Amino acid sequence: MLLQLNNIFKWVTTGGQRIFLLKDINLEVEEGEFISIMGPSGSGKSTLLNVIGMLDNFDEGEYNFMDESVHSLKEKHRSNLYKQYIGFVFQSYHLLDELTVKENLEMPLIYKKIKGSERKAMVADMLDRFNIVGKKDLFPAQLSGGQQQLVGVARALIANPKLILADEPTGNLNSKQGEEIMELFKQLNEEGVTIIQVTHSEKNAEYGSRIINLLDGRMV
Amino acid sequence: MFKNNIKIAWRSLKKQPFFTFLNIFGLAIGMAGGLLLGLYIYDELSYDKMFADVDRIHRINADIKFGGELNTQPEVSAPMAEAVLNDISQVEEVTRFRNTGAVLIKKNGDVNSFKEPRTAYAETSMFSLLGLKLLYGDTSTALDEPNTAVISKSLAQKLFSTENAIGQVIDVEVYGKYTVSGVIEDLPKNSFLQNRNLFLSMVGYPDASAGAWGSHNYYTLVKLREGAQPNDIHQGLNAMVGKYVIPYVQRYFPGITLKEFEESGNYIKYSTIPLTDIHLYSDRSPEFSPNGTIQNIYVLGAIGVFLLVLASINFMNLSTAQSLKRAKEVGVRKTLGSDRSSLICQFLTESGLISFGSLVLAVGIAFAVLPLFNQLSGKSMVIPFTNPVFLVILVVATVFLGFFSGSYPALFMSRFVPVKVLKGGSVQSLGGGKTRSILVIFQFAVSVLLIISTLVVYQQISYIKSKDLGYAKDQVLVVEDVYLLGNKRKVFKEQVKAIPQTKQATLSSFLPTPSSRNDNSFLLNENRSQERAVQMQEWQADFDYVNTMGLELVAGRDFDSRYGTDSMAIIVNETTVKKMNSTLNEVLGKKLVDINQGNGELIYTIIGVVKDFNFETLHSEVAALGIFPSDNAGRMAVKMGNGNLDGTLAQIEQLWKQMAPGKPFSYYFMDDSFNQSYDAEQRLGQIFMIFTLLSICIACLGLFGLAAFNAQKRVKEIGVRKVLGASVSQITYRLSMDFLKLVFISIGVALPLGWFVMNRWLEDFAYRIDIPWWSFPLAALIAVIIAVLTVSYQSIKAAIVNPVKSLRTE
Repeated sequence: MLLQLNNIFKWVTTGGQRIFLLKDINLEVEEGEFISIMGPSGSGKSTLLNVIGMLDNFDEGEYNFMDESVHSLKEKHRSNLYKQYIGFVFQSYHLLDELTVKENLEMPLIYKKIKGSERKAMVADMLDRFNIVGKKDLFPAQLSGGQQQLVGVARALIANPKLILADEPTGNLNSKQGEEIMELFKQLNEEGVTIIQVTHSEKNAEYGSRIINLLDGRMV
Repeated sequence: MFKNNIKIAWRSLKKQPFFTFLNIFGLAIGMAGGLLLGLYIYDELSYDKMFADVDRIHRINADIKFGGELNTQPEVSAPMAEAVLNDISQVEEVTRFRNTGAVLIKKNGDVNSFKEPRTAYAETSMFSLLGLKLLYGDTSTALDEPNTAVISKSLAQKLFSTENAIGQVIDVEVYGKYTVSGVIEDLPKNSFLQNRNLFLSMVGYPDASAGAWGSHNYYTLVKLREGAQPNDIHQGLNAMVGKYVIPYVQRYFPGITLKEFEESGNYIKYSTIPLTDIHLYSDRSPEFSPNGTIQNIYVLGAIGVFLLVLASINFMNLSTAQSLKRAKEVGVRKTLGSDRSSLICQFLTESGLISFGSLVLAVGIAFAVLPLFNQLSGKSMVIPFTNPVFLVILVVATVFLGFFSGSYPALFMSRFVPVKVLKGGSVQSLGGGKTRSILVIFQFAVSVLLIISTLVVYQQISYIKSKDLGYAKDQVLVVEDVYLLGNKRKVFKEQVKAIPQTKQATLSSFLPTPSSRNDNSFLLNENRSQERAVQMQEWQADFDYVNTMGLELVAGRDFDSRYGTDSMAIIVNETTVKKMNSTLNEVLGKKLVDINQGNGELIYTIIGVVKDFNFETLHSEVAALGIFPSDNAGRMAVKMGNGNLDGTLAQIEQLWKQMAPGKPFSYYFMDDSFNQSYDAEQRLGQIFMIFTLLSICIACLGLFGLAAFNAQKRVKEIGVRKVLGASVSQITYRLSMDFLKLVFISIGVALPLGWFVMNRWLEDFAYRIDIPWWSFPLAALIAVIIAVLTVSYQSIKAAIVNPVKSLRTE
């Protein structure tokens, strides 16, 4: 088992009242799964994804990631954990504007303190695999949206994560570009990468092996 | 990692050329100012430190209370040196200097002589005491023979075209001929011997060995034995009063005892000051060399620190103002696995890069303006590029500054939470606004304070310049060195007076502007007790003095050659009358006795009283003064009429050349000399002005940055307001008011502080302005106007943005 959420609650207090963002979430994810999280706006999809990605805290419940109990870990350990095992893909790509494609790919490796020669090899490998060798010295602004997201996925993948979290990865793309990215996800999944994506689109959700529907913070 | 940091820092700086420029420029201005002031302070603090064993060298001071007047002297009596050496065991060595003032010198046999402005009698012991070496000659005997002299290398070059001038003869006008017995390296500019090129042997000077304890003209340095403290010798010094001074005074007041002397309220107190403290802490007259003051060091040091802090604050404001643009980057980096410390490292790398960029620019600026600054400060400093200590200090200071300035932005920005900033939602929650506001308040408070200071300093200076001083300094030409003419002085004066464009002329060494001074004590003829003695300035002058100087008689009459008795008459000033406890009417006809003359006593009759005139700077009150008839003068003052000044001057010079061939004609105008005596204040005024401008400049950069930040932060709010119907001017007003509030708070802090500080400064003047009420609103207004101009650009820019654009992201 990759991760397990038990009775997760998350809330904010406004005007003395608790408003639940996540309510009693129980979820088990096995390695190699491809999960799509769906639901209307404000149902807590992104919040759930952020909790899984350890970017956000929760108020109650247990979260075990690869046999580590995340809820009892200190901030530092938690960031080490996600640094090592999780890659993120964003709706608006979030590439660093002042870095080239190559340098954007290199960034997570630097933070993992991987040696320079090794980094080069890994970046070259990834450029090759995604067929963007010709774009390696361009800046994000010089790429189309689809290409940027391609780099975004490559960057998420470069440190060999066990899990990729994607928050509406095709939300800013046109249908053709979106399809390409989804095909890519499918292929990666077949190669053994676990993927959890948030999406609005029924069609994209179909790519996954399992669909989780959220409504008002609850799994339905 | 580090290389990567540098690369990213470089790119993000390049991406924002305008902000990077503002940042580097602001910091560079502050650093350049700090560097210049640092050099200045270092130079001031380095005075006299180069002499050997200088921690054991002290000067003897004398505080003399006599005739109702307290004199604080840096000089003591001639026999003091020998007495100290004989009587006080802790003293190892002693040496004396006796200023002669300017002399005219020439190579023996030459026709033309020139002026050597600062000359002194000195003793051989000066070399061993100060650890000075001679290039040529023997330091153990150099000044042992009468009529020998030690000269500087550059004077040797100038007079004899060779450094080795031993055995050459210098003709010193009036003083006689001196054989060069030693050549010394030019003396350091930052020492009490600065600009001195000629030391005459004291051995042949009779006054030095006459044993007169009554006059105080010898600058006396002692070197203590190792381990001895200055306090150890104070008792021994003050024992001199009973042992030597009283017996000497008994010649004039037979039978007086030390007890009687002290009971009448008079005293002599001796003290010491370390040689290295003299430049900044001694405020006695006449000092051997012009001094600085420690107050100025504090003021300038504070301004330097202020500048650096202002520049640093500026940096913080501009950097955090950029934070919105950087927020996304921080978020992404954190999700890619960056921890907070590596983000802090990255931001600090950026600020380090900026501060080194600023350093390069700052050194460039400092180098470029150093000549100007030297002119302003009256120094000849250089940037010591080759001094490794200086370079290390520079680099360390820069690293520290970069670290200090970068720390707040780094801590602030690295705290961003990725979930929040990546959503691109509310940015109001980024915070830090309060800190930035306090920083801006501080910056503006300092600026307002400096504006007030500048206004007050300038008003005080113009008050001094326009104050009725009691004499007419305009269009008065002073011809120096008329003593060279000997008996022909009077002829020269008459011929000058015969030139139609001159109105009046007088022969005297004593002028209300810096010139000779002569303090003397007199007894009242009707009651010759020392309690009634009068201490006053004794100024010798001819009969035309009162007229030429434009002094106003308030009682009695001027000197008049028709009265045969006027050679023993004196005219006193009002202060003297007050000191004598007399009135304008009563004082006329009173007789004063001068007992200090070797050949019996001289009795003078008071025939007139002039209104007090300020003959010292306005730092001090007018002292008692008497004008004594004499033709024995070193200067001639000529009151010029209107008309062709240059032509008249040429005529006077022509006359001089006829009567004194080969002697340089040196002259100045009295009002110039007057202005020069307020050099220190004028310089302070200019320095204030310049650094005020700099600090305002920096503060504006900071405010500009904050305004930009605020406008960015409120893009959405502005958009909504516009959609709801707000006009551009309403929005501009709203945005600008936020900042004006800060400026008003600064003004509230700075005004009382300015009032307090500047009143303290003014206390140093005996004649001073009341700080005019309008200085405060004026300073406030200046600050507000500058702030409005700075802020309105950003406010208007934000206000005219199309709301469709600013609301699109929602």
